[in-house]
Amino acid sequence: MDKRALRGLRRAVGRHNALTEPADLLLYSYDSSTARGMPGAVVLPASTEEVAAVVKVCAQHGIPFVARGAGTNLSGGSAPIRGGVVIALSRMNRVLDLDLPNQRAVVEAGVVNLDLQNILAPHGLQFCPDPASQKASTIGGNVAENAGGPHCLKYGVTVNHVLGLTVVLPSGDIRRFGSKAEDAPGYDLVGLFVGSEGTFGVTTEMVLRLRPLPESTQIVVAFFDTLEAAGGAVSRIIAAGMVPAALEIMDKATIEAVEASFPSGLPTDVEAVLLIEVEGLEGALDGQAERCASICRELEARSAEIGRTPEERERLWSARRSAFGATARLSPAMLVTDATVPRTRLPEVLRQIQQIERKHGLRIAKIFHAGDGNLHSNILFDRDDPDGLRRAEAAATEIFHVAAGVEGTITGEHGVGAEKPRFMSLIYSREDIEAQRKVQRVFDPAGIANPGKVLPEPEAAAEGTA
Amino acid sequence: MTALASALRDLEAIVGEENFLTATQTVSGYQIDGQRPVAVAMPGSAEEVARLLRTASEQGLSVLLRGSGTHLYLGAPPTPIGMVLSFARMNRLVEYDAEDLTITAEAGTTLGALQKTVGEHGQILPLDPPGPDSATLGGIAATNLSGTMRMRYGSPRDLVIGLRVALADGTVVKTGGKTVKNVAGYELNKLFVSSLGTLGAICALTMRLTAQPEAKQIVLASLPPPTAAEAVRHLLSSRLDIATLEVANSAACRRIARALPVTLGPDRYLMFAGLMGDRESLPRQESEVLHLLGPGAARIQGEDADSAWAFLRNAAFPAAPGSVVARLSVPLSKTLEAADAVSSWDGWWAVARAGSGFLHAGPVDSGDLADVNQRLLHLRQTAQELGGFAVLEAGPTELKREFPIWGENVHDLDLMQKLKETFDPTGVLGCGRFLQGL
Ligand SMILES: Cc1cc2nc3c(=O)[nH]c(=O)nc-3n(C[C@H](O)[C@H](O)[C@H](O)COP(=O)(O)OP(=O)(O)OC[C@H]3O[C@@H](n4cnc5c(N)ncnc54)[C@H](O)[C@@H]3O)c2cc1C
Repeated sequence: MDKRALRGLRRAVGRHNALTEPADLLLYSYDSSTARGMPGAVVLPASTEEVAAVVKVCAQHGIPFVARGAGTNLSGGSAPIRGGVVIALSRMNRVLDLDLPNQRAVVEAGVVNLDLQNILAPHGLQFCPDPASQKASTIGGNVAENAGGPHCLKYGVTVNHVLGLTVVLPSGDIRRFGSKAEDAPGYDLVGLFVGSEGTFGVTTEMVLRLRPLPESTQIVVAFFDTLEAAGGAVSRIIAAGMVPAALEIMDKATIEAVEASFPSGLPTDVEAVLLIEVEGLEGALDGQAERCASICRELEARSAEIGRTPEERERLWSARRSAFGATARLSPAMLVTDATVPRTRLPEVLRQIQQIERKHGLRIAKIFHAGDGNLHSNILFDRDDPDGLRRAEAAATEIFHVAAGVEGTITGEHGVGAEKPRFMSLIYSREDIEAQRKVQRVFDPAGIANPGKVLPEPEAAAEGTA
Repeated sequence: MTALASALRDLEAIVGEENFLTATQTVSGYQIDGQRPVAVAMPGSAEEVARLLRTASEQGLSVLLRGSGTHLYLGAPPTPIGMVLSFARMNRLVEYDAEDLTITAEAGTTLGALQKTVGEHGQILPLDPPGPDSATLGGIAATNLSGTMRMRYGSPRDLVIGLRVALADGTVVKTGGKTVKNVAGYELNKLFVSSLGTLGAICALTMRLTAQPEAKQIVLASLPPPTAAEAVRHLLSSRLDIATLEVANSAACRRIARALPVTLGPDRYLMFAGLMGDRESLPRQESEVLHLLGPGAARIQGEDADSAWAFLRNAAFPAAPGSVVARLSVPLSKTLEAADAVSSWDGWWAVARAGSGFLHAGPVDSGDLADVNQRLLHLRQTAQELGGFAVLEAGPTELKREFPIWGENVHDLDLMQKLKETFDPTGVLGCGRFLQGL
């Protein structure tokens, strides 16, 4: 890294918070995807002003920068694939304003999702987005990815709960978009910025909408002998107009992984488990829960039971939350996809994914936010098998094609990152992508904010499909 | 032939003679704030819209997009209008996947037609913007109008999941898609929703739907302002999941009070708590809300409740052409303070959307415009002191010329201008109605 630039970075954040030792850099060279890239420096700013000072140095020297929360993203979003400076927001972890009467919180980007929930819960409030990674992932990362989570079925994704942002633009300018009050006149810069994966600049603070916690929840757990039947139950429940808080499916491979690592008492001889959570007023949930259970039975669930105790609920949810980690433990080499499809297409898409699995002789562990049509197909492969990654990638490509074929999308919540720009043309035309690029250039004309992410290179877009 | 005449000829060729109006008498019906367009084009497809926009952009002819014209009172008085581009013919249902709870329709589809279609399947689009059901989906999205169910279901920003947009360069682009969750690429839906037709023309929309509630009703009570404020605080922090929470002052209620089973004194607010849900939860909600609102509270159902909802919904709609309607947006807990400020004036109505932090207000009689102007400035200041802002949504042209309707200090105008220049380089879209001429 350029000496003058490095001096500038050190001045911006203090010598101790600018890392250049190879061992440190290595820690920031990857995220939870397969993408990798060595940064030239890592900085740990403590304030919006320090972030701005860092970004100004980058702008001056034309150095790329990559914002980083907890690095839990599954698409290569925070891997510095073009080198440059990693701006790690872990020190910016203060809740700045807990505004209970207005049901708003103002937090710094590095606040961990679950830490915020734990602060809110005693007040009977929550921040609705609850990615399964909430123990580690940051609100800044959630905003940058427009993250979802099991309970987004009922409450919507991150963007529906973000009202304001403080951002540092790639020029180093500090801006405040939105506020605690809603519907300011003008273009919706907040909505546009959410989900931009760090390519429009760095978000340092956010104004969040809070909601009262539900009074009561009930969980229904159903076991199926085919994955399709579980998918069918989900389609049916949605079609019946019910809005459970969550509808989650785990397949046999995932259940086995969970039971191997975090035994939760799930049967390993079924093809799928469906978790249904309904929320609302105490004493008013039995009917809903019973209707969900009976739909499952009609679809020949082996069993469909209403969980009665909080312990039972917690046990099932921790099984669900551990599913990803457990699967990763089973097979450290894993390609994660999260294609999303219209919910009526679930059964046929599930059938096709199983065919892909067989065709490539791979194991695909499936963890679905099924109520949203969001299908996490985790493709397990063997790193020692020279052909492993190639086959996994071929399977992933086919899954994207299947999703695109039913008017679905290549990613429902994980983001495009470094891994999927080449698949954008499966769902968007060249003009669609150019319109997106124009917006990106408004924010980042120099192309230094997390380059190589989200959009395909202009030439690649012109080539048509991936 | 003059440049204008040749531009008009090109435009007419795109939609055909029968869909291109220039007769003075006919185009007069399309005037806003006294501005009469030169021509009105009624395209039949997104491709035609795109060709119209490209030609207009090349020829520097200004374009005003029009759904059914129900909300064209919003915005600054337009600069001279070259062409009104009407979506009247683009009202087809593109795709309705009832079991997926999503629908795709052309932008000129009216809200009423859409509700009828989905109603047959027991579903609703949970949006009830002020004004008649002849409002179009494109217009509702472009204005981001929401209504009484906002606190539960959000606004078009939350409900639109995909758009087809015709751009000034003649291309038609897709933003978003058909799935309820989608993070592939940037969220351009958000850019076009609420842009008041200044960046491109929304030609079709995909929106999420919801099931009709099994049961609904309103609990209402006439309360002294401090008691109303207290009740709002309780209801907002409760776990009852109220769908509508509105508070109207006595001047506002004159419009409906006669029809309601409560007596409204002066210096009192009428509070409406709208409950929607399944039959299992409604009784609990009802009894708790009744209890909270005290002995004077009453419950209305069926047609009575529907007409109360319609009153609340339409409160923000100008009662007559030229009626003044201001909107204050403030942090949630300040809504009733804003209502108090308005209610201290004689002859000013106010309806607070207490679950979302909005207050709509205006003079019952807007005769003295100088006075109205002063008071609007005062309201803006009040809103700012409460941590929000105010916009003038409707008013006579004269007032809209005087009063900075969108506010004076717009943040980040430079970025907005860049977005505008990017999508509308010749600046023909919108006729200067949006803030600072965007
Ligand atoms: C076990 C597991 C479960 C998961 N479950 C879910 C789930 O249920 N739902 C879901 O949506 N995702 C899920 N994810 C994915 C991931 O956790 C989310 O994408 C999360 O939002 C990332 O947050 P992070 O703090 O780790 O951000 P990072 O991974 O560090 O960064 C993500 C992206 O955001 C950018 N970024 C980070 N912070 C900022 C900032 N302050 N300003 C600008 N850009 C920034 C980065 O540059 C990068 O592009 C899961 C991941 C794991 C490992």
